[in-house]
Amino acid sequence: MSTTLLIGAWVATGLSLFMYSFLYKDNPFFKLGEHIYVGVSVGYGLVITYYEVMVKKLYVPMVQQGNWWLVIPLLLGLLVLARFIPAIAWLSRISFAFIVGVGSGTAIPRQISSFILQQVQGTLKPLMADGGGGVWFTFAGLNTLLILVGVVSVLFYFFFSIEHTGVVHRVARIGIYFLMVSFGAAFGYTVMARMSLLIGRFDELIQYASPDYGYATLVLLGLVIVGLIVWERGRAPESGNV
Amino acid sequence: MNDFARRMLSLDRRLIFLLIAIVTLLPLLYPLGLPIRVSPEVRKIYDYIENLPEGSVVLLSLDFDPSSKPELYPMAVALLRHAFRKNLRVLGMTLWITGTSMAESVVAQAAQESGKEKGKDYVFLGYAPGGANVIISMGQDLYAAFPTDYYGAKTAELPMLTEVRTLRDIPYAVSLSAGTPGVETWYLYGKEKYGFELGGGCTAVSAPGLYPLIDTGQLNGLLGGLRGAAEYETLIGIAGKATAGMDAQSATHFLIIVLIVVCNFFYFLTRQEGRRG
Repeated sequence: MSTTLLIGAWVATGLSLFMYSFLYKDNPFFKLGEHIYVGVSVGYGLVITYYEVMVKKLYVPMVQQGNWWLVIPLLLGLLVLARFIPAIAWLSRISFAFIVGVGSGTAIPRQISSFILQQVQGTLKPLMADGGGGVWFTFAGLNTLLILVGVVSVLFYFFFSIEHTGVVHRVARIGIYFLMVSFGAAFGYTVMARMSLLIGRFDELIQYASPDYGYATLVLLGLVIVGLIVWERGRAPESGNV
Repeated sequence: MNDFARRMLSLDRRLIFLLIAIVTLLPLLYPLGLPIRVSPEVRKIYDYIENLPEGSVVLLSLDFDPSSKPELYPMAVALLRHAFRKNLRVLGMTLWITGTSMAESVVAQAAQESGKEKGKDYVFLGYAPGGANVIISMGQDLYAAFPTDYYGAKTAELPMLTEVRTLRDIPYAVSLSAGTPGVETWYLYGKEKYGFELGGGCTAVSAPGLYPLIDTGQLNGLLGGLRGAAEYETLIGIAGKATAGMDAQSATHFLIIVLIVVCNFFYFLTRQEGRRG
């Protein structure tokens, strides 16, 4: 195994354990891990943006391949930075006007078509299906009916122009139940996602606990526990003084 | 009984963390082999790839970064293994700059594992800034959107891309995304305009928001979270990281359900006592 891979495994294991130590309580290991994470994320983002965008997409095509029209997006990009100089801050509006204009023009028609018109179309499917010598109400029809009732009742719930009394109140109430089910489903999926992340980390921690990686997980877990005990003991007199 | 209920409700939450850790760890160390049922939305993606003619180009956009690796990486591995096994050609790329190296490594590793040749059987385009604009640009001229691939080779000269000039020349695309830009972006600016079929893979958090797109046919299928990845691994018959994690997933879900039921039971017990005064 290469030394780089081994160092990577030890660093990854140590930082994972530092972050999980927060489950015990806020402590210096967690704070160290947190600060390293923020620093590395920003540093990595900057370096990769410089190399992948500034060098590969701008410098090389413009300077080495002679695509000098790229000066226009470069200038528009630089104008955004004018916001930091109050005297010429107004220049940044040119770039923002370009971004807002192109962005809106591109997004609005597509959003309306995809997320309003096609979704409305999906809500208004036929309830009955043709087959078996007649027209029947099928299981798919039941789904369509549920979707239709759900959409209409939730829309009623968010209709604030009239007072929610009588029939409107009852329909809006059904809408609340549909919303509750949707929140429950979303929360269930969120729990699943968080557990998946935990499983992913545990999977790697198990892998790094093997002799191939020098028992990295076990050694570092021991060190973190000892470190927490020492930290707690050192903290006790301080707490007493306070 | 009510004293016991109150004690249980004020239990040190670190005990629950410990329980979750144990329940997650044990099935990873000693797998139970619980069955994995394949859902229709996962099977649709599998069937579509299975029925593509040999040599077709499949676009795989790996729109995530290392923070979503446990959920989306196994999907990428399973999809790539399936595509290469079917002798399809894979066009890999990413719309997430911080995921570029990881995306490159998963495509290159899967290709190497299947004995595929760079430039001929697969191409990794890398990252281009702009999100939606990259897709629009690829739809007009792929060579202009990506003049070179990730490794610096000219895209117009790559054998795999001689017949692929725009997104209209691609029959199927799958976006594995952890947010925006991702599946929705590919649908909005890609599928609807350039006519290719689109499948999606996403983190479990995003899945409920994408299900309405399946019902309307805007997406042909969806892999949702680790479960979706495990289902795909079941379909291709290669148990990977996702399948290994599903026992732990089921065990933790079971524990969470038990905790919710028990806590609610104790809560109602103490509430009833409060009402009685």
